[in-house]
Amino acid sequence: MVLAELGGRISRALQEMTNATVIDEKVLTACLNEISRALFQADVQLKMVQTMCTNIKKIVNLEDLAAGHNKRRIIQQAVFNELCSMLDPGKPSFSPQKGKPSVIMFVGLQGSGKTTTCTKYAYHYQKKGFKPALICADTFRAGAFDQLKQNATKANIPFYGSYTETDPVKIAQEGLETFRAEKCDLIIVDTSGRHKQEAALFEEMRQVAAATSPDLVIFVMDGSIGQAAFDQAQAFKQSASVGAVIITKMDGHAKGGGALSAVAATKSPVIFIGTGEHIDEFETFETKPFVSRLLGMGDWAGFMDR
Amino acid sequence: VFQSVTGKAALEKADLVPAMKALKDRLMTKNVAEEIAEKICESVAASLLGKKLGTFTRVSSAVKEAMGDALLRILTPKRSIDILRDVKSAKDEGRPYVIVFVGVNGVGKSTSLAKVAYWLKSHELSVLIAACDTFRSGAVEQLRTHAKRLQTTLYEKGYEKDPANVAREAIATAAKTKHDVVLVDTAGRMQDNEPLMRALANLINVNKPDLVLFVGEALVGNEAVDQLSKFNQTLADLSATAKRKPIDGILLTKFDTIDDKVGAALSMVYVSGAPIMFLGCGQSYHDLRRLNVKSIIKTLLQ
Ligand SMILES: Nc1nc2c(ncn2[C@@H]2O[C@H](COP(=O)(O)OP(=O)(O)OP(=O)(O)O)[C@@H](O)[C@H]2O)c(=O)[nH]1
Ligand SMILES: Nc1nc2c(ncn2[C@@H]2O[C@H](COP(=O)(O)OP(=O)(O)OP(=O)(O)O)[C@@H](O)[C@H]2O)c(=O)[nH]1
Ligand SMILES: [Mg+2]
Ligand SMILES: [Mg+2]
Repeated sequence: MVLAELGGRISRALQEMTNATVIDEKVLTACLNEISRALFQADVQLKMVQTMCTNIKKIVNLEDLAAGHNKRRIIQQAVFNELCSMLDPGKPSFSPQKGKPSVIMFVGLQGSGKTTTCTKYAYHYQKKGFKPALICADTFRAGAFDQLKQNATKANIPFYGSYTETDPVKIAQEGLETFRAEKCDLIIVDTSGRHKQEAALFEEMRQVAAATSPDLVIFVMDGSIGQAAFDQAQAFKQSASVGAVIITKMDGHAKGGGALSAVAATKSPVIFIGTGEHIDEFETFETKPFVSRLLGMGDWAGFMDR
Repeated sequence: VFQSVTGKAALEKADLVPAMKALKDRLMTKNVAEEIAEKICESVAASLLGKKLGTFTRVSSAVKEAMGDALLRILTPKRSIDILRDVKSAKDEGRPYVIVFVGVNGVGKSTSLAKVAYWLKSHELSVLIAACDTFRSGAVEQLRTHAKRLQTTLYEKGYEKDPANVAREAIATAAKTKHDVVLVDTAGRMQDNEPLMRALANLINVNKPDLVLFVGEALVGNEAVDQLSKFNQTLADLSATAKRKPIDGILLTKFDTIDDKVGAALSMVYVSGAPIMFLGCGQSYHDLRRLNVKSIIKTLLQ
């Protein structure tokens, strides 16, 4: 992940502020402008960046800061806290329990990485002693079942799907029955890619959800997504009660600011990030270390345990 | 936000700042990369400095007009490529015309390849599809399905083979069987992944395609800049020919998913200088369009 660049810029902006003899409104504004630019370049939604700056200005009430206070540190802390709170929806997501059957449904835009991530997710829990299984409820994309089948076979995870059935609801139900009978405790349903502009595709997603009553719906999002992130994520949230987010392709150069938009739109936490095409290129997501990395660590590490 | 300084003398920087900032924010909201929005705004501001406005012209309208002109200049292709004409001349030379589809993961390369195959077939051209994504699970079956539906020929050697070799054999086969066009699918790769970029450069060096199409998705944000500059740069650095910009054209996908956030089109063309040859705007074969430059500009400035 190339986050250092972004963190470096933010740190520099803060450093410049320290160099100023008097930290007044003008200096703070210049600093926040520079931070905003860095966040725009990381694809954070315009509105969110503007709100963040307003909040920071409120917190860092310059007049209230008596002389002798380390203003730079207070501002740094405010930036850190603002970013953390943007990523923290305030409640943890559903967490599967071994031996207690649960159903997880994957949704997202076309090509965001659902099918790949399904297997990574299953594999992650398999290593923890779960008995996962994969269902291919994507009857639309050419080769979808073969893709899931080949991934699952490599990871030694049972799978269900069909070459001929065209109704994803039916496949999902049949798969569920099969794996419940086999006492699998983590049944994962992969679905087709879709987007909010096509009502029929969203309706299909609602039907699959209704037929499988998932314990958790995971929204999978490409880490390089730009300003469309918020609207799409929000639409998924409204139609499929998304409960968690996974950001993929974080091995690229993208800074993953779309993640912030997705969290804001779905009010759900990011639980994992994908960092490559291979099955083990998958990391648990934790807000504070992520933001520290986003900000280039160094100075920031000190804030972590407060 | 736009203030009016009608009747004033020559435009000074201070007159332009508020209007330029508003315009830059608008471009970014439309998903133009920050760096590109900044650069374009700077050059538009520079072009207006010292200009005198007519009595009834507001700064905002002058800025908007100058921006419209700048965008038109950027988005109007400098090189025009006519695939159908070029296919005919390759045919006259007795060889198939070769297109390679490249890009990062999941953007729509294979689907777009199928759409282009459909389009070529509708012009009575015969197509051979070369399955050179020998890495991603299901990639070969995905193309087999498309080839079957489109009734075109598929050349495949399964997985884990060297893609450059598969492409070479496919082109040789097409030459023998007198196919007009070979469409080469490649695996998605991150622009920073050196071994994979090397492998792609090798495929291009070995097979010397007539057209390298970069497939990018309209959803992408600031990454558009890095993707295009690195694909161009890395492929050029590793190229066997002296071609400075290996990417000949852009195929912009998922245009149906972005509402008015059309900025990726601008970012991609600005960075690469390559024309957008096709727009993908849906998941069926006929969802392939031409870019309408005027309507993009209108949307960007709205
Ligand atoms: N580099 C990288 N590639 C990834 C990652 N996750 C997925 N991919 C790749 O992204 C591409 C698309 O992934 P899929 O899993 O097919 O995406 P999907 O969401 O299932 O796609 P649809 O079913 O068509 O909507 C594939 O080439 C994957 O190998 C990641 O974390 N890093
Ligand atoms: N809405 C929409 N979806 C598209 C468009 N083009 C492709 N897709 C979808 O995007 C997903 C990924 O498409 P692929 O063609 O497999 O992408 P790819 O670039 O070949 O992916 P990899 O080979 O894994 O890197 C599929 O679900 C396609 O149906 C488009 O123009 N609009
Ligand atoms: Mg899939
Ligand atoms: Mg492909």
